[in-house]
Amino acid sequence: MTTFSLDRIFSILAGFMDQYAVLPVLYHFHWMEWDDLAFNWCLVCVYGLFAVIATYAICWPLEHWRPIEHWPDQKAVLTDVFYTLLNRVGIIPVITFLLFYQVQTFCSGWLVDRGFIPPTLDTVVPFLFGHPFVTFWVYALILDFADYWRHRLSHSFRAWYALHALHHAQRQMSFWSDDRNHFFDDVISFLWFFTIGLLIGIPPLQFPLLILLLRFIESLSHANIRLNFGPLEWLIVSPRFHRLHHALRAAGRNSCNYAGVFSLWDVIFRTADFSPVYLPTGDARAPEALATGSYLQQQICGAKMFVKALFAPRKKKATV
Amino acid sequence: MITRRLALATPFALYATQACGAAAPPICMVMNSAGANISVIDMTTRQIIATEPALREPSHWALTPDRQTLYICDASGNAVFAFDPRTGAPKGRHRIADPYQLGYSPDQNYLVVNALRLNHVDVYDATTLSLVKRFHAGRMPSHLDFSPDSRWCFSSQQQSNTLFSFDMASMTPRWTVPVGHTPAGVLWLNGKLIVCIMGENGIAEIDPLDGHITRRQQTGPGAHNVFLDEKNRILYISNRGPGDTSLTALDPVTLEIRRRYAIPGGPDDIAIAPDGKIWIALRFAEQVAILDPVTGDYDTIDVGRSPHGIYLSTCLTQKGQVTAERLR
Repeated sequence: MTTFSLDRIFSILAGFMDQYAVLPVLYHFHWMEWDDLAFNWCLVCVYGLFAVIATYAICWPLEHWRPIEHWPDQKAVLTDVFYTLLNRVGIIPVITFLLFYQVQTFCSGWLVDRGFIPPTLDTVVPFLFGHPFVTFWVYALILDFADYWRHRLSHSFRAWYALHALHHAQRQMSFWSDDRNHFFDDVISFLWFFTIGLLIGIPPLQFPLLILLLRFIESLSHANIRLNFGPLEWLIVSPRFHRLHHALRAAGRNSCNYAGVFSLWDVIFRTADFSPVYLPTGDARAPEALATGSYLQQQICGAKMFVKALFAPRKKKATV
Repeated sequence: MITRRLALATPFALYATQACGAAAPPICMVMNSAGANISVIDMTTRQIIATEPALREPSHWALTPDRQTLYICDASGNAVFAFDPRTGAPKGRHRIADPYQLGYSPDQNYLVVNALRLNHVDVYDATTLSLVKRFHAGRMPSHLDFSPDSRWCFSSQQQSNTLFSFDMASMTPRWTVPVGHTPAGVLWLNGKLIVCIMGENGIAEIDPLDGHITRRQQTGPGAHNVFLDEKNRILYISNRGPGDTSLTALDPVTLEIRRRYAIPGGPDDIAIAPDGKIWIALRFAEQVAILDPVTGDYDTIDVGRSPHGIYLSTCLTQKGQVTAERLR
């Protein structure tokens, strides 16, 4: 007997994609040894596709219902759509998955050969084992905490912010803008989370709907919507809260509201700004190509800014 | 997914019944690799009575020689989970590096573990589970089997396209031979070895003395694992390649195909019940199929994500050494 929950439909779609699209390629090139993992790659792509569709279905009507800004043309938004598809459905999640798998395997093998079996969070904290729902939220909190500091540090170093400026340059910020990042900025994020993954174990993949919920909150927080969460804003990042982070006045090193999902990190570390305003977004110092250029133009411009910032002489602080 | 136990009252009642000495109903345990859990099914009612958590990726199983413990591998969780083989009640876990596939030597002295991700074949003392020997034999060690006299062990190396053999007495390598693209299931049969070759769409028969291939037989795309029925009359090969997935029944002596069952959904491991029905884990369909090999009809039970290994407690009533692939 077959039942059809949403989660089950995802798996069936992933199985179909695996069997009729991915496995034929693997078999053609004699890469069958990856067939066990291929199903997981397909799941990642199916979840990503669903996330895009669900985000669009919810955020698009909201952006039309209560927009903060009206834009005469939305060419710049189209580039963000490309970023989103590339990052959530396309080849990047698979490459990330593969890369993480290979490097993690190498590191684990190195440790095991020296008599040490790497732990996971749910083996170090015995209470968590057998409580998958709690485990998921502990992982979510740890990863979001790590992301808070990654994000805050990306605003603290000149060269790093030169890469991150691509994310901030968007003046037409919409729910598509979440994945708008420089490739090298994504690489740094990958390495950052890879290190965390090694320390606490790779989070289980068995909570796709919850992972999608967290990704949805991140997309929603970028949306062009006049929306706040009231008192809940102290816990969860709202569009208004995150817009303050993207505000023109907050671009660069003196920003606020760095959290991705849980705003409580900004509260704890005193970087929260709950001002009840919806400010224009963008980075006034960023070149125009970074704001309205094509994907490639943005990437090249970001790389040039990074190199320039990396080798620029440090400015001396004025003494009074 | 989030609900650990689908029916809380039933499993506790079930375990309690077992503790009081009453006969437990026969169970099926299904290792859901991508779901990080194990479905426990009442074989009589065909209902899931419990869903036991694993850490990351449960795959295969082995029964301890005294039949008191069922070990289930969790490769990326670096653990082997212990269960009561009659009731499915959890009994704890052991830290073991990357256990993907495992098996006890017929003399019951050693537990051999294929560490697929980390590229080693590990030999543990069967009693203490302490590491005796580690072989770096190739890339992606997949499945394994032994000679009946426990002299030799054989392990397929998926990414190296080889079969590796080592001597159990001296713990030294014997030979490594190329057998075809992506070898997987391995089974000792009538003085030879049967190895499933996924990329060659069939099986190879191999001489265990020197590793040379004596015969080949096409069974279907992605020939993955091999099983022998308890009366040694039928050899089953699960084929889970792209598109067309199936279970092929062969004559174990002539290797001629007797019947081919089209089973959509990617059949992986199988287990044969006393009534002759074949329980099949369907990787892509999140289901277990229960096939009547006489009629070719089958029913399905929904389980977790990417069901992989499958165990039936009815094997405990059989004589001989029970392994996932055969009754020895």
